[in-house]
Amino acid sequence: MSSSLTSAVINELRKIVGEKGLITAPSQLQTYECDGLTAFRTPPLGVLLPQTTAQVQEILRLCHRERIPFVARGSGTGLSGGALPAEDSVVISLSRMNRILNIDIPNQQITVQPGVINSNVTAAVAPDGYFYAPDPSSQTVCSIGGNIAENAGGAHCLKYGFTVTHILEMTVVLPNGDVVTMGSKTLDAPGYDLAGVFIGSEGTLGIATEATLRIMRRPETIQVILAAFDSISAAAQSVSDVIATGQLPAAMEIMDRLSIEAAEVSVHPNYPACEALLLIELDGPEAEVNLQMEAVTEICRKNGAWETRLAVDEKARFLVWKGRKAAFAAAGRLSPNYIVQDGVIPRTSLPTVLEKLNAMAAAEGLRVTNVFHAGDGNLHPIVLYNRDIPGEEERAIDLSLRILDVCVEAGGSITGEHGVGREKQCSMSYMFSDPDLETMQRVRRAFDPLNLANPEKIFPTPRLCGERSRGAYVAHPLEASGIAEVF
Amino acid sequence: MNSSVASWVHEAAEQFGDEISFAGTEAGPLLASPADSAQAARMLAFANRRRLTVVPVGGGTKQQWGRGVVPQIYLSLARLDRVIEHPWQDLTCTVQAGCSWSKLEQVLARHGQFVALDPLFPDRATVGGVVATNDSGALRLRYGGLRDLVIGMTLVLADGIVARTGGKVVKNVAGYDLAKLLTGSLGTLAVITEVNFRLHSLPKYLQRFSVSAADASAFSSLLASIRGSHLLAQTMQLTRQPGSSQLNIVLDGHPAAGQAELLSQMVAQAGLKLEEAAPCGGVLRDSLFETEASVLKIGTMPTDVCETVDLLQKFAAIEAKSISQSHGLHLVSLLGQADKVTEVIRRLRSGELHPGSTVSVLQLGPGIDSAAFEVTPPALEVMRAIKRQFDPENILSPGKFF
Repeated sequence: MSSSLTSAVINELRKIVGEKGLITAPSQLQTYECDGLTAFRTPPLGVLLPQTTAQVQEILRLCHRERIPFVARGSGTGLSGGALPAEDSVVISLSRMNRILNIDIPNQQITVQPGVINSNVTAAVAPDGYFYAPDPSSQTVCSIGGNIAENAGGAHCLKYGFTVTHILEMTVVLPNGDVVTMGSKTLDAPGYDLAGVFIGSEGTLGIATEATLRIMRRPETIQVILAAFDSISAAAQSVSDVIATGQLPAAMEIMDRLSIEAAEVSVHPNYPACEALLLIELDGPEAEVNLQMEAVTEICRKNGAWETRLAVDEKARFLVWKGRKAAFAAAGRLSPNYIVQDGVIPRTSLPTVLEKLNAMAAAEGLRVTNVFHAGDGNLHPIVLYNRDIPGEEERAIDLSLRILDVCVEAGGSITGEHGVGREKQCSMSYMFSDPDLETMQRVRRAFDPLNLANPEKIFPTPRLCGERSRGAYVAHPLEASGIAEVF
Repeated sequence: MNSSVASWVHEAAEQFGDEISFAGTEAGPLLASPADSAQAARMLAFANRRRLTVVPVGGGTKQQWGRGVVPQIYLSLARLDRVIEHPWQDLTCTVQAGCSWSKLEQVLARHGQFVALDPLFPDRATVGGVVATNDSGALRLRYGGLRDLVIGMTLVLADGIVARTGGKVVKNVAGYDLAKLLTGSLGTLAVITEVNFRLHSLPKYLQRFSVSAADASAFSSLLASIRGSHLLAQTMQLTRQPGSSQLNIVLDGHPAAGQAELLSQMVAQAGLKLEEAAPCGGVLRDSLFETEASVLKIGTMPTDVCETVDLLQKFAAIEAKSISQSHGLHLVSLLGQADKVTEVIRRLRSGELHPGSTVSVLQLGPGIDSAAFEVTPPALEVMRAIKRQFDPENILSPGKFF
């Protein structure tokens, strides 16, 4: 491995992708030195912009031969540093592979290249009355390839599932340059569910160059209710009560006072000023939704909602969601700098976890605002800070990571949809024990024995995390049975 | 114990005492019944060191799937049969792998919930076995495949490592999702000892209907129009036998919401007659697994469902019965002389079906060459590489897939 590409390698790469498909000028490389997690930056040795699966294959064969680490990149919107270049790596940007290859409405499928933007998938099938369900907040700019790498979710995955639920088949270039098909356009292809483990592997197992996605019939009607509460607990109780009636809304979101205020000054969604705003979206056959909405409204009122508003027409719903989806960016209105965290907790522990988070923030003298996919327990605390105040950034990062510890202690996860990337790899050993992580590494070694695909991501390393293991110690069976001892 | 039995059997008896017995005669395989994951781990480590082959067993209902050999040790999960927790407000549960599907259903139903899956043989099939075989039934149309219902797992690797994957929350992207890799791996990668599921509420307003015709092709346009409609179909199952076809449709909708009326209109437009039907679960699917029958799982595109099941009736000298889901998965039973059935399987695999269709053999009738089990999955080399990492001595369920 070297800190620059040899001219021979550069020439070979140029031959593969052409003059316009290769970036080596330091000024242009800057664009690729980070993703949405801007606190971490590493310039790559070069950036490649392939246009075909064959080109990706040739690039990876060359990387394999020359032992050059590579990092695949979609739109660079990831929030955990998944597309952050590794030391001495090349970045492979899939943004030019942005064609829709086939639309099969009768079988409810669409085949796309990885650079296609998420919302363009829905746009392509909307005239036929269909949509693509995974809807991360960045859906107007993020790519399907990036969604596959991160197993992207979104507000509506409560009902519709994650990216992995919606990918039927993929063409994948493995780290040794082999091209394989994972999954199939029909259900249950024989063999291991390789697509299932590849999706969400954050670019560490190879590069998807084509994907067939499931599309869904657009519901006959969509209605959103906004309910204003005096406390997060009352809003959370309403969520539990809705679940208890057996309904599965398309989305259930809670925003706290600070995030409501931020959204208000940012995109003016005209939210009621309250301590906790609960958004519940129901979709389905119109008569069915009308009946369900009556029940949901009643539950909110019973739990003390002092205002309920129904958004039925598309314009009103758009505004409601615009406010919610702008919540991250709007945090910039509250504070010069912020960190968006992505923990998951069992839904019912929300009130106690929030109480803990508030106490922790107060002890640090920092403000934390919360938006919450309440249906599935995915919490997005936004830690506000000012980088110009000495020490505040470090305290903010520390607080945001301790928030993840609280989520794990509550029985949850360190990430619901943003991925581990570089940001959270040291938290992995808080959630998983060494044997858990070692078992995952076996998968990685099977796909990528040379550790070239997005190395130094997901897994805690001594270099980045120190030697300490934070997980509970689990004895090896040989040790437990008295055959071997640990010294 | 007879002195002629292998020395490892004596060692196993010494180490594990009452937890082991003979599955049949003393010449046959050993049956090991661990009480927990840790003991299962010690047994696997024992076998791995001696390169003894191991097949995990739940209810034993699908042992034949994917072929397989009689191992030296059957690892029974029968004693791991508890539902560990059911935090119903979080819509999740944790259950041990040896728990029967119907027992799990009963526990979850106390709070009006269920794992949204209708597997084969629910009274005998265990959670671990259902997951290892990736079984699914008619509910898949509405709730998706099993792999999307599993949110975490505890597994024991061949060398005795106990690992957890996923967690107890539905939304979770921390690390690789090993549970997906294990789902449908037929016991070849690790032994599943515990599973965490996401749950759904039991539907309240199911309405059941059926439509009959001679050929399934009569349902083609109806299925297409339902797929393209706003109806909330819970299941759409097509049963095909010589001379008759029946389409069963279950709607999930409040009676006041008028879905049944809409369906009735669509059926009438297709020139068919809608009838109300009695509840029927997975019993019919189970019945395809007669002792003499060869049973196939076929995957086709949704638009090819009707054509595929009619095609199965056209083979001479065999009797074909099929139960198909509108999403394109078919369970097919073939009865007939061994050579005729073998020929049908060969033809189905070599171009009779639409391109992209897949055929797996689940059960073979008497006298049929087990080579019929063999399929070449896509990305076989990747599968082999994973197998080598997880089970380098190839002790777990040898003969399946590879």
